[in-house]
Order: sequence, then structure tokens, then C-alpha cells
Amino acid sequence: MTTTDLVAHFFRHEYGRLVALLSCRMGLEHLEDVEDAVQSALMSALEHWTVSGVPDNPSAWLFRTARNRVLDSFRQQGRHERHLRSLAEISAHNKADRQTLLPEDAEEGLLRMLFACCDEQIPAPSQLVFALKTLCGFDVREIAIRLFTTQDNVYKRLNRARSRLRQLSQPLADLTADETTARRPAVTKILYLLFTEGYLSSHTEFPLRRELCDEAIRLTRLLASHSAGQSPQTFALLALMLLHRARMSAREDGSEGLLLLEEQDRTQWNRADIEEGLAWLERSASGDTFSRYHAEAGIAAEHCIAATFEQTRWDRVIECYELLEHSNASPLHRLNRAVAVAEWQDPAHGLALLEGMEPPAWLAGSYQWAAVLADLHGRCGHNTEARRYRETALRLAPSPHVRQLLQRRLQADGTQHREPE
Amino acid sequence: MTKKTYLCIQRSPQTDKPQPPSPSQMEEMFAKFHAWKEKFADSIVDMGGKLGDGRVVSANDTTDGPFIETKEIVGGYMIVQADSMEEAAIVARESPGTMMPGSSVEVREIVTS
Repeated sequence: MTTTDLVAHFFRHEYGRLVALLSCRMGLEHLEDVEDAVQSALMSALEHWTVSGVPDNPSAWLFRTARNRVLDSFRQQGRHERHLRSLAEISAHNKADRQTLLPEDAEEGLLRMLFACCDEQIPAPSQLVFALKTLCGFDVREIAIRLFTTQDNVYKRLNRARSRLRQLSQPLADLTADETTARRPAVTKILYLLFTEGYLSSHTEFPLRRELCDEAIRLTRLLASHSAGQSPQTFALLALMLLHRARMSAREDGSEGLLLLEEQDRTQWNRADIEEGLAWLERSASGDTFSRYHAEAGIAAEHCIAATFEQTRWDRVIECYELLEHSNASPLHRLNRAVAVAEWQDPAHGLALLEGMEPPAWLAGSYQWAAVLADLHGRCGHNTEARRYRETALRLAPSPHVRQLLQRRLQADGTQHREPE
Repeated sequence: MTKKTYLCIQRSPQTDKPQPPSPSQMEEMFAKFHAWKEKFADSIVDMGGKLGDGRVVSANDTTDGPFIETKEIVGGYMIVQADSMEEAAIVARESPGTMMPGSSVEVREIVTS
């Protein structure tokens, strides 16, 4: 086997798979030993494979090495006897009568770990950090960069999740079907959060953002492929992620700037993602729950299937935003609906939707709110208001790229009129 | 003209406990390593390997290592062939042995005649 045969992110993904698999067997109280063992197995692969080449089954090689490292560390800690049985079980993976250590077994381990970390006692930011570390294989420094926070903060969140998981007497493998179903919304929520951390981030490095979106899709796909994770909401979530990712590269202008929806070259959109996204959206249309994922996927789908910006079915987009407001009331949805109404009818109607609305501080203090008002006022010929909001929007822009985009979009004289996607 | 052989000795700074690379960094190191290995396949005679602990032996004394100043440790070696020292130095400079900050590779011709 040659290096080029190793799939992308082989080391990082193997880290997640092995940590999950071994933790499922050993119990979460040994998570740290397991993580150290896996890290050490990867280091060992790096040393051996560079000299002797990649073995035929690199995953099996890593598994064996990591398992032996766990065994060694237990021996050193005098815990050997206690764990002999579970280790013997793992060691028996070559025996024909055991069906457990197949590749799908590692996938199931990942899924179990995902459900385990979505414990209601663990705050969402800790769940997110834990998933990035344990399931995606990022280290603390890499997580801090991606989430715009300090390494200390990442440690704190991680330890919070770890100490809670250590307390759980229940082995990972023993979540009942009912418990799994009850926890599923928390799981989809954390995957959605992971995706938006990448998609909505104002991080200047596109590949880093893209990576978080890819990770979210990988884990959601896993969820959608397993009976424990299958639900119309899961399918809708996967659809929305794919339909957003399809357009992600086209949002960049090649020089790290951002492009408006109407400026994007639609031929650059990823057809495979769009087709797959639409298929999942179709599959999500069952059951009696209309979730926010359904609404958001519906909006993304309308943008994806419109041949041009002008041909967007704005009425459908508006409908989805209305549904979204019902299922998850947020003034941000109203703001987005106003943008769609301005396209469907005219800017005055869009503006009317926002009149008398008192945005909460987080929204009033965001560039989006000011940018939309600047745009709508400008298009209505209210030049004084337009200028005022334009200045606010530029001041609040979170990155130079967003600022450039706003400057292009909201020209000082109010002559150009389009809203960022 | 027959090629000459060179011994390359890799050294890294002695640090208390270097932060281990993350899986992402390992991916990157692995990819770089293979790009290098392919590029210089004709020059690499022996990939060599890591060097472990050792011992210095003289006619009347034996000392356990490490042997040079503690601020750096010899990590590994390899053997390359090249037409000149300059050429051998290029292979060494682009090798993974110089990848970590502070690391260096010493290149010495193996004189056989």
C-alpha cells in the first residue's frame, strides 16, 4: 500500500475511530489512557511507515498497536487483572465467530461516543469541544484557533465534559433505544452547531472553515446511516449542510474576498452536493414534525435550484422563513424574511416588516441588522437613514472581507442594492 | 563519475517534553515525508533510522550516553549518495530531519579512498 492510498485525514479520523472504539470497550473512565494510547500508536505509525512503508491494512495495524499500548499502560498501573477480560475480548478480533471488530464497528463506536457526549448535564460548548477533540481528532490548540477562543478555555470545556462522562456508571454500549431517541435532538443540535461554526465563521482561512463543515457532514452522514440516528430531522439536517456546502467555494472570489449570492458563478456550485442534498431533503419529508432543519434546508434548496438570482422562487423562500419563525422564533429570521420580501415584492414591503421591531441587543449590535436596513432604506431612497446604517454596518463588520463586501454592496450614494447571502 | 556517499546525522534540541504533534500535523508530516522520499529516491541509499541510547567505549573505560552537550540530542541517521557535498546538502535540507524548529542535519562525506 502506498501513501497516496491513505484517505484524506486518515490520521485524524483514525484517531476518532480508535478512541471511540477502545473507550466503548474499556469504559469512559479510561478515556485519557485510551487517548494517550491512540496518540502513541499514531506516532509509532509515523515512525514505522515512513521507513518500512504503509502496511496493507493500516487501520488494523493502528488498532493492534493502540490496543497493546492500552494494555501496557494498564499493566503499569497494576490494573491488568481487572481488565484482562475486556482486553481478551478485543484481542479475539481475529476469531471467525466474533463479528465485532469490523470497520462498521468502529463507526458504531463513533456514534456511541457522539450520543454519550450529548449528555444533558454537559453544556453545549463543552459537548462541541469534546466532539472536536475526541471524534474529529483535533488537538486543543487547533480547536482554539477554529473556535476563536483560548486554549485555556478549550481545556476547561473539555475537562467539564470529561469529568461528567467519567462519573457515568452506565457503559457506553448500554444506552437503550428509548434513551437514544430521547437524546437524538441534542445530537443533531451539536452537529448543527459544528456546521455553523464553520459555515458562518468569519475566520479568514477558508480551508479551516471548510474542514469544520466537512466534519459535521461526516458525522451527520454516520447518524443518518444508523437506525439510532435516523429521523426526518436528521435527514433534513444533512440536506441543509450539503446544500450549503455546495455553494461554499463559490462564495469566495479567489483572493479571499466574499462574493454576494448574485455575484456567484452558479456553475461553480457543487452538483454532487446539491443532488445528494435534495435527495436527503426528499427523504426528510415524512413524519409530522417540521423542524428548523426542514425550513433551513428548504431555503437552501430554493437557492440551489434557481437558475439565476432573478429566478429564485422568493415566495417559497419567504414561506420557509415564516415557518422558521413559527418553529424557532428569532428576530434574525424576520430580518431574513424582509430581505426575501424586498426581492419578491419591493424594498418598501421588506422595510415594512421590520418597522416597529425592537431588535435584541445581540442583533442590533450585529452588522447584519445595520446592513439590511442600510440596503432597504437606500433602495427606498431614504438617503439619510441609509448612510447612517451603512456607517454602523461597516463599523461592526467582523472581518476585512465582510467590510469589503459591504462597501461594494452598500455604496455611499445608495445606488447599488443587494444583500449578502 | 561515481557518486560519493554521505552520512547524514540528525540532531534536535533537547527539550523537556516537546508537545506531541496532533493527528493533523502527523498527516502533514507524513505527506511531506513521502514527497521528499519520492523526489530524492535516487539519492537515498539507506533510510537509516532512529538512534536509541548508547555507550562510549574506549580501551580502558565505558561511559553510558548521552555524549554530547545536553542541549541537543542525536536523533537519527541516513545515508545518501550524491555527486557533491552541495547536492547531498540539498537532500538533507529538504528532509524531515530539519522539519522541527531547531533541528539540523549534519552531512559528512564517507571517505573510502
